[in-house]
Amino acid sequence: MDLLKYRIKTLFRYQDLIRELVSRDLKLKYRRSFLGYVWSILNPLMIMIVLAIVFSNLLGKNIENYPVYLFTGRLLFDFMKNGTTNAMRSVTGNASLLRKVYVPKYIFTLSKVTSCTLDLVFSLGAMLIVMLVTGAPFHWHLLLMPLVIIQLYIFCVGLGFFLAQLNVFFRDVQHIYAAVLTAWQYLTPIIYDLDKLEGIPWLVVLIKGFNPMYYYVAQFRDLVYYGQFPGMRIFLGGWLIAFLMLFVGVWSFQRAKDKFILYI
Amino acid sequence: MSKYAIEVDNVKIRFNLSNEKVDNLKEYAIKLVRHELMFQEFFALKGVSLKIKKGEAWGLVGANGSGKSTLLKTISGILKPYEGSVKINGSIAPLIELGAGFDGDLTARENIYLNGLVLGHSREFMDEHFDEIVEFSNLENFLDSPVKNFSSGMKARLGFSVATIVNPDILIVDEVLEVGDMRFRRKCNERMQQMLSGGTTLLFVSHNIEAVKNLCEKAVWLDHGEIRMIGDAQEICETYQAEQERLTKEKKREHREKLRREGKKYDYLIVGAGLYGAVCAKELTKRGKRCLVIDKRSHIGGNVYTEDVDGIQVHRYGAHIFHTSDPKLWKYVNRLAEFNNYINAPVAVYKDELYNLPFNMNTFSRLWNVRTPKEVKEKIASQIADLHITEPKNLEEQALSLVGTDVYEKLIKGYTEKQWGRDCKDLPAFIIKRLPLRFTYDNNYFNDRYQGIPIGGYTKLVERLLENTDVMLDTDFFAYRKEHPDMFEKVIYSGMIDEYFDYCYGHLEYRTVRFETERIPEENYQGNAVVNYTDREVPYTRIIEHKHFEPEAEREAPKDFTIISREYSTEWQPGSEPYYPVNDEKNNALYARYRELADKEKNVIFGGRLGTYQYYDMDKVITAAITDIKKELKIKV
Repeated sequence: MDLLKYRIKTLFRYQDLIRELVSRDLKLKYRRSFLGYVWSILNPLMIMIVLAIVFSNLLGKNIENYPVYLFTGRLLFDFMKNGTTNAMRSVTGNASLLRKVYVPKYIFTLSKVTSCTLDLVFSLGAMLIVMLVTGAPFHWHLLLMPLVIIQLYIFCVGLGFFLAQLNVFFRDVQHIYAAVLTAWQYLTPIIYDLDKLEGIPWLVVLIKGFNPMYYYVAQFRDLVYYGQFPGMRIFLGGWLIAFLMLFVGVWSFQRAKDKFILYI
Repeated sequence: MSKYAIEVDNVKIRFNLSNEKVDNLKEYAIKLVRHELMFQEFFALKGVSLKIKKGEAWGLVGANGSGKSTLLKTISGILKPYEGSVKINGSIAPLIELGAGFDGDLTARENIYLNGLVLGHSREFMDEHFDEIVEFSNLENFLDSPVKNFSSGMKARLGFSVATIVNPDILIVDEVLEVGDMRFRRKCNERMQQMLSGGTTLLFVSHNIEAVKNLCEKAVWLDHGEIRMIGDAQEICETYQAEQERLTKEKKREHREKLRREGKKYDYLIVGAGLYGAVCAKELTKRGKRCLVIDKRSHIGGNVYTEDVDGIQVHRYGAHIFHTSDPKLWKYVNRLAEFNNYINAPVAVYKDELYNLPFNMNTFSRLWNVRTPKEVKEKIASQIADLHITEPKNLEEQALSLVGTDVYEKLIKGYTEKQWGRDCKDLPAFIIKRLPLRFTYDNNYFNDRYQGIPIGGYTKLVERLLENTDVMLDTDFFAYRKEHPDMFEKVIYSGMIDEYFDYCYGHLEYRTVRFETERIPEENYQGNAVVNYTDREVPYTRIIEHKHFEPEAEREAPKDFTIISREYSTEWQPGSEPYYPVNDEKNNALYARYRELADKEKNVIFGGRLGTYQYYDMDKVITAAITDIKKELKIKV
């Protein structure tokens, strides 16, 4: 219990550092560009337009307001993808610093996921623009979005911790994870509608049961796209998976962190 | 609260060397199968214990890879001990690498914040101290440029300024101040001193031993992950430095040895391991030339050779007292050896009377029982006037016309006659040009600014000169040259010039002396290092009592015996030990003819007392050697 108290205290002590690291990431991303932060909205918007054009005839014929459908899935997956990938490199990437100053190592992992969350917030702005333009209905459920985002944030932090510590010992993880992400992306109903997927029912069951991203994308779509409260199974499941992942991540990170210095 | 700031208890740090290579899965799998994974472990620290009290300043010394930085990192919490424990009481400011965590793309302003936060400060704190940091770093004009454009000195300045805004309980400094200009280094030092006086505990690593000595009171010497020595900083630094020097010498010696075994050709063959040859060897070796020094005697040092006889340094070839007025040369010899403050004040015995030398007021007052310089001058003038010498025909008349009867009879006549082995009346007048008389009560024989004798003897000094040179003793030059004509490019010859040319024009003459050395079971034989005997009846010219050349050694370890040498002048004949060139007309003319031959001799430099047929004081011969080598290597003097 004391240890937990101590951890929370150090976290509190280093909160300014996390804030600084997050703002560094944001600053550096758009330093010396003309439009600056506008890109945070413009960029997802542009990609989304391209995707919508490409896929609406291919897969979206039966899906109403395909751009918004696509956006809601893509948004969350991109966040997860960027967040965990950056988190994975957070320890190795700050090696020179960690070799010279004592800083709790999780700070870097945490700040990476957090700065990606800010990107997500900007992307949400882009999503609202798309909704406006396509004339999608605005439901009051939109206000519940944070509930899902928090779940996903927790999940990403957990997965980020796990990947970050593993990456210290085996740099191969980066390449493997890139492949995993691609597979994962296609196994998540982003560009297609899972219920309209025919012919392979076992895959649908598998995805609905074991793909964590399904839980978050589905909840998010319920709130934004369908304007309804998500089902209890995916809502509770989402929280459960998030904390389970956090536990695994923290545990593995905690176990390995003292050895990092010897490997970075 | 504990009185210790840092307690390190039996800390071991283990690195896994193989880890460096195994960072991909394939290798991991292979090694796992082969059970090679945990092998090749390496302990950077092998059980180090250290207790540092609050407010103490500790230095960490040791060679590269001895574990200094590892220990600092363990104390700062960057590394976790594999075994043992580290206990820290208080806040730590680690200056392990200044500007660690600077992001090159961010501006100095942004980096100040980032760096401060990395060190655990709050944003509010940084806001408060921002101006102070900027002021200390002197980088006001560069605040908004990205740090990647900064020089390493500028980065260090920024880093130091951020790291030291707080007064930490413990300050850890790891060789960070080596960059940065003089002014900033001084500023840093001042700040550290200020922190120290404020009660901060300091842990300081530097290869600059002087800095450690200045800043620290205690020190630890780490060697291959273990504590070699712990305690007083001065003592440890000195021992450490001595050890480093010893190792360097060892390395050089091994290298020399290797080249020697391979039979590599020498750049210079130096004939004679006396002061001239040894200085040449040092000056050449220093500039990367490879030398071989040979000497036909069985010891180095030539005539300055001193032999250690049960703790007494015996001047085997007569009294040698170093004196010079050249400050640069005095510095030069003091780098080679430590000199004592011996001042030569010989006395003269005439029958049963004793006089001070050189001729000074002490001498005169004893002679005539007078007190003032005026009385003395009158006395001498009247004695000279009585003699009515207008044109001195021989040495006796010359001396008499200079100092009068009493001084000549008692202090000059007998001594000179013994020296030259004939009557003063038969000696030419030119031998004495002037006889210095001193009208003060000063017994210091020499007029030079600096004077002394190397503690431990001259041989040690010559050893220092020859420390990086191959030396072969008991080796005759002519025999060696015949046997190994291709082992050297050039020759520096400090032997007798006439011998080199096989006495083709005849022998040059020398004045020579002979010593009878005796060990006497008495503590103190004559109470002075040099006593001259000026009456002709005593066969020797003087007695040297060697222990008085090193009064400090005698004070430290009194001996119940003494060693004296009686000095006799003997007639020189071919083959006897040559001491003083006789620079009379005949011999000088002969030397000039040899000199002509020498100038034609290619690739041979003639030098030193015998090589140039002239008497040299020690300071003069050193200067001559240095000048000759600079000329040889075409270095501007």
